[in-house]
Amino acid sequence: MVKAVKHYRPPGKKKEGNAAKFVTRSQALKQLQINLPLFRKLCILKGVTPREPKKKFKGTHQTYYHVKDVAFLHHEPLLEIHREIRVHERKIKKAEAKKNLERAKRLREKTPKPKIDRIIRQRYPRFVDALGELDDCLSMVHLFAALPAAESKKIDIECVHKCRRLAHEWQAFISRTHKLRKAFVSVKGIYYQAEVEGQKITWLTPHSLQQVVSDDVDVITMLNFLQLYEPLLGFVNFRLYHSINLKYPPILDPRLEALAADLYALSRYANANVNAVPSVVNSEASQVAESEQGDAKPKRDDIEHEKSELRLAQLQHQLPTNEPGALMQLVEEAASEEEVDQDTRECKNLFKDLKFFLSREVPRESLLFVIPAFGGIVSWEGEGAPFQESDQSITHQIVDRDSQGHKFLSREYVQPQWVFDSVNARIILPTVDYMVGR
Amino acid sequence: MSPTKQNEEDPHVSDSDTDSTYEDSSAADDDDGDSFGSPSESESEPAAGDDSEPDEHGESDSSGLHQEESDSSEDEVAPRNTVGDVPLHWYDDEPHIGYDIKGKKIKKKDKLDKLGSFLANVDDSKNWRKVYDEYNDEEVELTKDEVKLVRRLLKNRAPHADFNPYPDYVDWFKWDGAKHPLSNAPEPKRRFIPSKWEAKKVVQYVRAIRKGLITFDKPKEEDGPYLLWEDDSGLTEKSNHLAYIPAPKQKLPGNEESYNPPLEYIPTQEEINSYQLMYEEDRPKFIPKRFTSMRSIPAYENAMKDCFERCLDLYLCPRVRKKRLNIDPESLKPKLPSRKELKPYPTSCYIEYKGHEDAVTSISVEPSGQWIASGSSDGTVRIWEVETGRCLRRWDVGEAVNCVAWNPQPDVHILAVSLGQDVLILNTHLGDDEEQKKIKELLSVDTSTPSDDSGNSATSVRWLQDDKHGGIKLKFFKTVTAVEWHRKGDYFSTVMPAGESRAVLIHHLSKKLTQKLPFKLHGLAVRSTFHPSRSIFFICTKQSVRVYDLLKRKFIKKLDTGLREASSIAVHPGGDNLIVGSKEGKLCWFDMDLSSKPYKTLKCHPKDINNVVYHRSYPLFASCSDDCNAYVFHGMVYSDLNQNPLIVPLEILRGHTSSDGRGILDCKFHPRQPWLFTAGADKLIKLYCH
Repeated sequence: MVKAVKHYRPPGKKKEGNAAKFVTRSQALKQLQINLPLFRKLCILKGVTPREPKKKFKGTHQTYYHVKDVAFLHHEPLLEIHREIRVHERKIKKAEAKKNLERAKRLREKTPKPKIDRIIRQRYPRFVDALGELDDCLSMVHLFAALPAAESKKIDIECVHKCRRLAHEWQAFISRTHKLRKAFVSVKGIYYQAEVEGQKITWLTPHSLQQVVSDDVDVITMLNFLQLYEPLLGFVNFRLYHSINLKYPPILDPRLEALAADLYALSRYANANVNAVPSVVNSEASQVAESEQGDAKPKRDDIEHEKSELRLAQLQHQLPTNEPGALMQLVEEAASEEEVDQDTRECKNLFKDLKFFLSREVPRESLLFVIPAFGGIVSWEGEGAPFQESDQSITHQIVDRDSQGHKFLSREYVQPQWVFDSVNARIILPTVDYMVGR
Repeated sequence: MSPTKQNEEDPHVSDSDTDSTYEDSSAADDDDGDSFGSPSESESEPAAGDDSEPDEHGESDSSGLHQEESDSSEDEVAPRNTVGDVPLHWYDDEPHIGYDIKGKKIKKKDKLDKLGSFLANVDDSKNWRKVYDEYNDEEVELTKDEVKLVRRLLKNRAPHADFNPYPDYVDWFKWDGAKHPLSNAPEPKRRFIPSKWEAKKVVQYVRAIRKGLITFDKPKEEDGPYLLWEDDSGLTEKSNHLAYIPAPKQKLPGNEESYNPPLEYIPTQEEINSYQLMYEEDRPKFIPKRFTSMRSIPAYENAMKDCFERCLDLYLCPRVRKKRLNIDPESLKPKLPSRKELKPYPTSCYIEYKGHEDAVTSISVEPSGQWIASGSSDGTVRIWEVETGRCLRRWDVGEAVNCVAWNPQPDVHILAVSLGQDVLILNTHLGDDEEQKKIKELLSVDTSTPSDDSGNSATSVRWLQDDKHGGIKLKFFKTVTAVEWHRKGDYFSTVMPAGESRAVLIHHLSKKLTQKLPFKLHGLAVRSTFHPSRSIFFICTKQSVRVYDLLKRKFIKKLDTGLREASSIAVHPGGDNLIVGSKEGKLCWFDMDLSSKPYKTLKCHPKDINNVVYHRSYPLFASCSDDCNAYVFHGMVYSDLNQNPLIVPLEILRGHTSSDGRGILDCKFHPRQPWLFTAGADKLIKLYCH
């Protein structure tokens, strides 16, 4: 009786157990014939994570992947595209070395681009799935929107701008549909929680200050994630804008955009367009609205004669929403009231009749997002603001300084924390504890 | 110094000689002013010595004639040696270096030895300008301009500073006035007809395009977002390759992350310092900070790092679905039936029995439930009618009563009372004549009998006729704290905690006999009780309950209470369960089939439990304590052995007041009704009914 060697596998016999189910990372690399950075990138894009086999047959220090996961990557068209990209880069390099700049340029333009939409659809078959895993995506996009573009760190300005645009579009949607539920100001940034289609989505927005890109961070990994997250948020935004009858890449007022008031521009765009849609459908309502607009226009003209034409156009956009008696808006509200749930209605009416004005030192971006999300009207100190500080109808002025020089008696001066506390408590809190300079 | 000086002087002398020879020639050859300048130099040189020489040059520089001068100096030097372009090493071994213009040999100068030349060089600050001219065998000192020129040459520039390598182009030809073309040839024909070769090439291209040999770059398509999830209603579940595990969401921020957290969240400086001593992995990731206002919040320095770490977690961490039992803590609570379903049970006080002048220490209910006996520390034993609260009888026994107990036989109306070191068996004079007759027979003691008892017990207990109360008196040698009847009413047990081996005695009433238990007692006996149906006897000592079989005279088991000091014991009418109350307020329920450890320990009373009791027919039990409360529990015992007893706390009965730190001293259930009697240290007996 010779005892068989424990691990002996006769030739032609298949592997069994964990050894058959899992491969180590280096085995997977060999199998896929790619290098480690590309493998990592594919894993990030496809959402493949290492596995924990019960028995680590190659040692505990190894990373194991499931055989099926590796096969899944093997059949991935992205793999082929990345191979093509590598070949292409070689061509470009050669052309550049031969000083054939024209060819290099042409080749660079023709570089194949990996298609992410298929992967997004594959990873998130339903829209709800995508919303459920949007947390990390939003946090990252918001972070990149606040980063300084640095050539040395490989963060190019286009990427930052794109992130900023996507973040603002998302915020505009949330604000417009009053889906924001909670906000929390922390040292790390401002946490927001919104509820979209029953999914609670929490994200972190860094404070609007210069962020530092530290050296111990591998930006390439983050950019790989961003390569997935950017289109994902784009598709999600498209779908969301589509659901409220808005054209997706929104066309913004370039002047407001230049003033970095993107969010306000977006919300105005949303307001204008949503109101325009029913007016086409309901001709009667549109007629009424038009007549009202016509009435109001000369009036406004007289009052604000010195304003530029652009400003007037803005006001016209706003008019229907500001006129309380407009039939059109009633129709719209009645229609929309049915579909929104109790929570949304509550959020919508929290700051309903309040008018806010933000002082210079107040974090503008976050408050411009939060206050309209809860039904308030807000303006700020600076160009392009919808109304001035001297407006008598302002009920609350948000101030974050030690003392306020000139005070209007008709309004209350509160710290920004009041807004956040009110929002979280869902009631308008007494302002005593949030006076200036406390 | 003197030899070196001499050495120095010598070349000067020779210099002057040569100069003088040269003077003539230059004067003959060359122009005017310069030749005047140079002889003056050469003349002054020997006179002024080394130092004055450069100064002279400087002066000549400033005079503005330097250009010409340098030219002339070149001219001066050139004709001195006339060897021409021959290798100079031919003259290495010769005493002369060549010939001057007149054919005379030019002698080599005396060379300075190395030390001398070195010292001369060190002394001379202009040394770096001096160049040895091998051809003429002399040292030439470069002027400033020459140095500049050399520098310019080294930089690959034109030698002269004012030379402009890129002069403006001057077009000397006048174009505007010209009437005729430069060439008079007529325009060729090819300028006027389309090119044949170009046409051919075009045709070639057109054909190639038509054939598809040439393809054009497609216009770049914008891959903007589109409606990706158009119809996802059909999809119900994720159709992923393997079981997909979504990444866990990040922890929501707590108070400590706020920009202005409560003070208790902020670590002190010492705590922050102590973090430094920790391992890097153990260190808290985030140290709360406090900012008084929102405008003073700085940018978070680790924002990027946090995000990056999250990314790493997302793609490098293996995801495993933890088989975590998701147990609702509510569901862990036993499903207790509501109290309404467990009715009836005593809830409120109906009757108070007043009359005792001191704390009522013990009560006992007559088996029919019509009468209740009570003993008090005022030295009286009373019998009350339960339903009316009337005091039927009263005995003045003259000593504080420890315990009263009715005989469980319904037709034997006698009462056992323990007071001090005595136990009285009293005739209550209830019942009809026949029963009375029987009782009287029972309670008559033969004076002759006590002596014939077994030796050891005779000394401990003496049976005496008590004439004063019409009963029997048992005299003990120590205080008797508890009296308990056997279910048949013929036996009763007494407990003397201080009695050591004779602490628990069993008495046979009809035979007037006393027996010592044939077992060794471990610990101080507190209470004893009989099994309700079998010949089993329980002795409760301070820390454990010992169970004996009386017929077989065998120790059965020991129950560990885990209590410090047990005070009372009660056996369930079924006989398999018992409860033990303790002085630390704990109540232990033992299921004897289950284990020797308590099945349940209820910590309900803050003070000593004085008594615990089971109801004879209802699934109820109660405990009373010095905190003036009595607890009523539902204690259901199932006949199914697999099912554990069900214990439900039902009611807290309040009403007694504390006196001397003592509350309720005794409690007893009514034998047929779910009523509870309690005897308090406040001289009251209370009846709680449902």
